[in-house]
Amino acid sequence: MNEAEIIQKLQQGNEQAFRHLVENYQKRVVNTCYGLVQNTEDAEDIAQDVFVEVFRSIGSFRADAKLSTWLYRIAVNRSLNHIRDNKKRKWFQSFEDAVKEKKAGLLHYATENPGTELENLQRANILHEAISSLPENQRTAFTLNKYEELSYKEIAEIMDVSVASVESLIHRAKT
Amino acid sequence: MNCNTLHTKMIFFLEGELPEREMEEIKIHLESCTDCAAFAEEMKKTLAVLETDKTPQLNPFFYTRVKARLEKQAEEKVVTQRIPVFARILQPAIFSVLLLAGIYTGIKIGQPAKINSDQSVYTENEMIPYLNEMEAEAIENFLME
Ligand SMILES: [Zn+2]
Repeated sequence: MNEAEIIQKLQQGNEQAFRHLVENYQKRVVNTCYGLVQNTEDAEDIAQDVFVEVFRSIGSFRADAKLSTWLYRIAVNRSLNHIRDNKKRKWFQSFEDAVKEKKAGLLHYATENPGTELENLQRANILHEAISSLPENQRTAFTLNKYEELSYKEIAEIMDVSVASVESLIHRAKT
Repeated sequence: MNCNTLHTKMIFFLEGELPEREMEEIKIHLESCTDCAAFAEEMKKTLAVLETDKTPQLNPFFYTRVKARLEKQAEEKVVTQRIPVFARILQPAIFSVLLLAGIYTGIKIGQPAKINSDQSVYTENEMIPYLNEMEAEAIENFLME
């Protein structure tokens, strides 16, 4: 099935086409959400919602856009919304809760990645913190670039900005 | 470039994404500053972690869960679609019944208009919940058939 066929079948409500789409894009969507929210469970939860939204709004999909661009865009928007909601909630959370959560997250990472030593866990934690500290649009550009290895041009399409803006976002993340 | 600036640029230095001039500047700094060299080494290892970090294991139940979510939302949609039917058809119906009842009692009792309206408000408050319940059940049964 090529992209045009998939889209057409999806618009007819074909379940097999939907399954095909989910299986084809699951990894990319989960990965993008993960890069942004930095939490496995949340990433999967958001990714599921992304596909639900895709199925329900495929009728309004414009044929001139790429399916992957559209999927990435929904994934980014939903992840950023999640981060915003989370921030509001975190604001009310006590410091102790935050520490507990961090420890749990680290433990979760340890059980998910058996073979890795504690040193690597600490590194992963440093990295997560560094990424989480980036402003939204930079975090998005960074995630799509580093986690998904997308080109600046692809990132520009997803974020609906110019290539120059993506470059400057990535470059500003450096200063 | 001082050590702090260099630290914030390190991730991009290691990815080879800085302008050539800055790449060169950092290389020279790293040769003379042991602190920054150690930091660079540490960051390099951290970035290597990213490589394993960025491919989360695929959940074999992922599609099943998406499917379940879709079905759940479809069900909820059916339920919420029922409510506007009540609002559109039943509410005006109930109000006209109440209005007629009010006018009727008004005429019957032959009281001044002011007291009459007070009375109809009272009747409305008392009757709406009761009527809503009765009619809602009737429609529900009708839909089930
Ligand atoms: Zn230094």
